[in-house]
Amino acid sequence: MAADISRCVKASLQIYKDVPRWCSDSKLATRTRERYGRNFLDPEVTIQDWGVTYDDLEPHYDRFEYLLGTSGKAGNIKSHIQAGGDPHESPRSREYPTPPQKELFQGALFRKAATSLGHRPFPQPSSNLSQPYTNPEGMKLNACVFCGFCERHACEHYAKSVPQTIILPVLMANPNFELRTGCQVQRINLDSTKKRATGATYFDAVGREYEQPASLVITSAFALNNVRLLLLSGIGAPYDPATGQGVVGRNYSYQTVSSVAAFFDEDVVINPFMASGASGTVINDFAGDNFDHSGLGFIGGAYIGAVNSHGRPIQYHPTPPGTPAWGKDWKQAVVKHYNHTVMLSVHGSSVTQRQNHLDLDPTYRDAWGQPLLRMTFDFPQNDLKMAVHVTAKAAEIGKAMGATQVAANPRKGPYTITQYQSTHNTGGAVMGDSPKNSVVNRYMQSWDVPNVFVIGASAYPQNASWNPTGTLGALTYWAIDALTNKYLKTPGQLVSA
Amino acid sequence: MSAYSRAYLGMRIGCILTALLPWGPAPAAIPPCEACHGAHGEGMAAAHVPRLAGQSADYLQKQLDDYAQGTRDNPIMRNFARALNRQQRAKFAARYASMSAPFVAQNTSSAVSLARGHQLAYQGDETKRVQACNGCHGPDGIGVALAAPYLAGQSAEYLASALTAFRQGTRKNDAGELMRSVAQRLDEVDVAAVSGYFGSLEPSTN
Amino acid sequence: MDKVTRRSFVAAVGAVTAVPATALLSPTAHAAARPGKTPSIAEPAETNYLFFNAAEALFIEAACERLIPADESGPGALGAGVPNYLDKQLGGAWGAGERLYRSGPWQPGTPTQGYQLPFTPAELFHTSLHAVDRDLAAHGMLFNEMPGEAQDEYLKSLESGARDLDGVPSAVFFDMLLKMSTEGFFSDPVYGGNRNMAAWRMIGFPGAYADYFEAVDRRGMRFEREPMSLAEDGRGHIQMRQGIPADL
Repeated sequence: MAADISRCVKASLQIYKDVPRWCSDSKLATRTRERYGRNFLDPEVTIQDWGVTYDDLEPHYDRFEYLLGTSGKAGNIKSHIQAGGDPHESPRSREYPTPPQKELFQGALFRKAATSLGHRPFPQPSSNLSQPYTNPEGMKLNACVFCGFCERHACEHYAKSVPQTIILPVLMANPNFELRTGCQVQRINLDSTKKRATGATYFDAVGREYEQPASLVITSAFALNNVRLLLLSGIGAPYDPATGQGVVGRNYSYQTVSSVAAFFDEDVVINPFMASGASGTVINDFAGDNFDHSGLGFIGGAYIGAVNSHGRPIQYHPTPPGTPAWGKDWKQAVVKHYNHTVMLSVHGSSVTQRQNHLDLDPTYRDAWGQPLLRMTFDFPQNDLKMAVHVTAKAAEIGKAMGATQVAANPRKGPYTITQYQSTHNTGGAVMGDSPKNSVVNRYMQSWDVPNVFVIGASAYPQNASWNPTGTLGALTYWAIDALTNKYLKTPGQLVSA
Repeated sequence: MSAYSRAYLGMRIGCILTALLPWGPAPAAIPPCEACHGAHGEGMAAAHVPRLAGQSADYLQKQLDDYAQGTRDNPIMRNFARALNRQQRAKFAARYASMSAPFVAQNTSSAVSLARGHQLAYQGDETKRVQACNGCHGPDGIGVALAAPYLAGQSAEYLASALTAFRQGTRKNDAGELMRSVAQRLDEVDVAAVSGYFGSLEPSTN
Repeated sequence: MDKVTRRSFVAAVGAVTAVPATALLSPTAHAAARPGKTPSIAEPAETNYLFFNAAEALFIEAACERLIPADESGPGALGAGVPNYLDKQLGGAWGAGERLYRSGPWQPGTPTQGYQLPFTPAELFHTSLHAVDRDLAAHGMLFNEMPGEAQDEYLKSLESGARDLDGVPSAVFFDMLLKMSTEGFFSDPVYGGNRNMAAWRMIGFPGAYADYFEAVDRRGMRFEREPMSLAEDGRGHIQMRQGIPADL
């Protein structure tokens, strides 16, 4: 099995931190059948192939990583395994643009423990850069200084790869580009045939309605908003889980995130507040299809790592299980453990299933009177089993790190909105090779309305173990390539259904 | 050289080295250093010699180590630093860190320049992608242990020469190229503004 | 494989640089110029209440102090000014529900769907505190005059959802009270709590420092640098902005 390799670089959509490549899932359905048999999967699970391959995307992964300046160590360059990188990595054409960030103390503890157990740790690729970098657009970034106020914050140091540091100023200088802020798009407008978009309607901040004519409409409004726009615009048949008909809103997925807390003696000083948003040490040995799932009763996996990005006390004050939620004992536990704990992340895949979907809410509306998006989701049993299995592996590493106490916390259902887990909302307008089971084709072009492209993680038929943004960046460059070299020359449906 | 001269020279060197040794007689100031850096570590602005009094011991140690190894390039400081071993440099750094020196305000900048310096210190300049100096150098530029030296009350001439050296790449001992990245985005007007601004501030060690 | 003892393992990993992993330098001269003193344990915070009335403030002060009590490690909620934080947040834009979706219809929802009440945070607190007061008064009690153990028992009864506070399930009120007390304890002092950064000193969180680029290499070092607020000037004076919403 060659292609079960990924480059783990996390990135968030608004704040690019880590940017992973992942390729093992491009033909997940086919490979799962081939490797484990047709009857391995729960029949409720609706994973499917993507319609693109890793080889299609490799040059575009490269281009995206070099746009960001991602800091990492390659594990596989043109099929030559590189020491110090991810041994499961799919072949890449060249090294990362900048070397890995410095290893933190908790990363070193993790690395030694994981190695002692026979795993193969490597530095998590990070788009908080390790050194100054100038990207191909001429944008300059600085070296990250581990301030510990990364995610949820702006980077005043210009060390984080976000749109405003890597590309926006270039775009703003382009006379063909105009940015209108404070506006809310209501829908993409269609002509009477319903097969051609004529533009979009939006309200500005004061509430004035505008119609913007266009010959080509690209919606890149984040996965959830992409799906909502399609539903509000009547592009594609909405999915009904009761009948199984329709595609828009189908195959919504997420990320199955578990954790392990490793508590150390007071002579082990972790200093969690010295951290970058994406620095860390991880193993991919239990991610994706990188291990044999025979007999385990689930597919998918998780990367495990010491990737904690901050020590901000409101969010981070770990205490051992059994500690009361308040009072003197709580306070003493917080004091005792704050600077002597390592949290391991178990960042897991998310299969799709029939019931998990997005649609328009029948009751609640937004400020413009339009239905809100409704999300119906719970963790598939497949993923909960995966979480138990991989979290146990992570707990072993915690013990091997020398912790005096290890608390494993595998993800349990039901899914609750009250505890933040991840912003990796994927699917709902999935890509594929047939309009019967996808909303967009392999170029993220709508099957129904060829002059609409839907760019976002809404395209993911299921979500892999790794952070979505790296792959999304690659898909975007891949789609841009098709747009400029194929579509603009010959507008129309690029793929015959 | 006559025997007498040699003996005399040896005695002078011996005196200097004795003064340098941590276990020798320890005057409040350090003779070879005070000639340039002042009796209380106040520096000599006109000669671009920096104020050392109250500076972070960690920072001073690193600079001495860098001078000794050639990572920071200065022929005068290199000779002094090489004459000391690492423990001695640490002692010197600690000695200066504990000093306190009177501050003489240098208010030679125009109001416009001071305002610009203040802006760069507190806000940075997004158009130049320069972050606020105080973000790393501490509130009012008073320095942050293990991260950045104080700027407040430092000689404006010295600051300007340091920024220029970072800008030109002749000074390269900044971790992560942090100062080089910043300095390369500042033009001469901004270098003068920010240097004059910090030079006009009272150092917190006073 | 040889058995690696915990101590030898950690020691081997920890000693990366030539600098041994011992206590850090003593506070530098600049820290001495910012003498923010560590408050004594029982020092109450003087608060100018803009949101809570006098009766509400008495409950809030007593309740928060049970949630986060003063002890040997440092001040509790009262000494840290947590009631002041709550007061300013509830009295500001966040308390007025600026960021809440507030269109009906109102349905109880499931526990996994989070907060579903029509009340703004300000309304939630006023309603709940009024109901608590009446509930206790019916038994001739004032919360702030009850002994500590009895206060804990009452708080636990709120926490378990055993009481209905004029339409507010008591667990919802308790959860918000606890969450905000934690915020008021650990947040930057600019928001009105965590006086003198006492909570940060207690756990060893340095606050708003920007740069650890070289410090990350000193593995396992003990950080004894003065904590720093994002709003403090060179003399250690914190420019308060208490009304700004802490939760944007």
